[in-house]
Amino acid sequence: MKRITCGALAAIASLALIGVAADAQGQGPARAAARSFDAHDISGFWALSFDSRKVPSAKLLPRVTRAMIDLHARRDVHAMRWCNLLGTPFAMDSGSPIDIRQGPTTIIIAPENNPAPRYLYLGRKHVSPDIYDNTTNGDSIANWEADTLVVDTVGFHPTRGITSIPGGGFKTDKSHLVERYRLLENGDVLSVTFTWTDPNVFAAPHTYEFRYYRLPSTYEPVSTWPCDPYNETRAKFIGDPAPLTASAK
Amino acid sequence: MSVAGTARYEMKVALAAAGIIALTFGVVAQPSAQTRPEALQGVQRLEGDWVRVDPNGSGDFGGLTSKFTPASLTSEATAAVEAMRRAQNAPRGPAYTDEKPHDTGQPYIVVAKPCAAGPFGGGALGINPDSGAIHFVISKDEVILAPERGGIRHIYMDGRKHPDVSRWTPTGSGHSIGHIENGELVVDTMGIAPGPVTAGGWRTPETHLIEHFVVSADGQHLVINYRWEDPKIYQKPHEYHYELDRLPSGSYAFEEWCDASDPLEQQSIVPPPQQ
Repeated sequence: MKRITCGALAAIASLALIGVAADAQGQGPARAAARSFDAHDISGFWALSFDSRKVPSAKLLPRVTRAMIDLHARRDVHAMRWCNLLGTPFAMDSGSPIDIRQGPTTIIIAPENNPAPRYLYLGRKHVSPDIYDNTTNGDSIANWEADTLVVDTVGFHPTRGITSIPGGGFKTDKSHLVERYRLLENGDVLSVTFTWTDPNVFAAPHTYEFRYYRLPSTYEPVSTWPCDPYNETRAKFIGDPAPLTASAK
Repeated sequence: MSVAGTARYEMKVALAAAGIIALTFGVVAQPSAQTRPEALQGVQRLEGDWVRVDPNGSGDFGGLTSKFTPASLTSEATAAVEAMRRAQNAPRGPAYTDEKPHDTGQPYIVVAKPCAAGPFGGGALGINPDSGAIHFVISKDEVILAPERGGIRHIYMDGRKHPDVSRWTPTGSGHSIGHIENGELVVDTMGIAPGPVTAGGWRTPETHLIEHFVVSADGQHLVINYRWEDPKIYQKPHEYHYELDRLPSGSYAFEEWCDASDPLEQQSIVPPPQQ
């Protein structure tokens, strides 16, 4: 998964994986024609396909220079090369399906190729920033508004993991992400709109949408994705243009 | 986790303790009663955050397991365990053969390849948790058990069967299917990568592990009863149990950060900032 360096490659990998899974099990993306669904339960295995992303270019503040964007891009490669936790938003488009499970108090989003799942805590307030150590996934709380699950995330780590945001820009510790999850097409499609705001990065809220296809309920995640930071062949392939000491901007 | 990582982890625990105190005094809003997992019914009471405890005051992990009945192994399994111990005791490079004296407070390399397994590997902590918390999310068709220190364990509750072991790539946490008995979660697991088992046991992908997750009446304590079954390995099923406490309301999952590119991850201690 770490070898994936751009959205297009991620899409190809995702499709390939789904294809393998479908071949193995004799099933493609699920079709719920004869199945009822609960609009308030987004549990399931979900995958992006080639037509799943609608990502406009972000409107960035003038202070955000090309050099800053390039620095974050280099750091992203560094994080992949060293098998770091990659965090959100990358977890939502990592080149492998995601397993979403909704419990009574928590929704967990587990990307197949990432060991650090996202926890969306239902009906809570954010953890006090006085005690919260910022993380690659941030602190996420969730509430249902009619048939839409609204997820509010703050507390992102400004330098750890993949910090670039689809469409342009990058995360800082001031970033605020609001996601809106809604089931479409009788529960076969999950729409997620992402809206990023950050007083240091975006000139206007940056919104994009992913539409995930539901995989068969019999799908089983591949749980042996390798990542060895000491594999020299892999390291040469990925490269590492960002030294650890690169300062945060 | 490296020693440096351990120090950071302990600091996070201290911060979490401060958070718990804050929660106790209402600094952070409490979730409503209906969202408290302990107030739920049946297997849903497993949902939430748990951490292993030391009920007998053993003081360390060795002490915790010292009271377990040792596994009764077959001769074949005894040989496998001995081979494993020899491999564990073999020199692993300069970091492990450095016998120079070190001054008090002097950092030195103790881990040649920190984070070497990578957070993407393993998964065994989902079966036998260490000091890191574990988190349960209970959905209709699947239970997820997420160890804080990496890996995800999927427990399928939809009635599916195990795959043929000949077509399964062994993993740290294997393939788990679960069902509910008397309101308790019962999980059968196979396909775990070969390796040691708590209290002198051994496992191969063919070995079956049966776990019973028993939540106390007040929802605050969890006992995991383990039963390893494999006639090639055990003269009789190998059984022991772990005890865990529920973390206080308002707790949340930590992120276990280990950067293999950070030289400090190799060291015995993290040097203090220089004046």
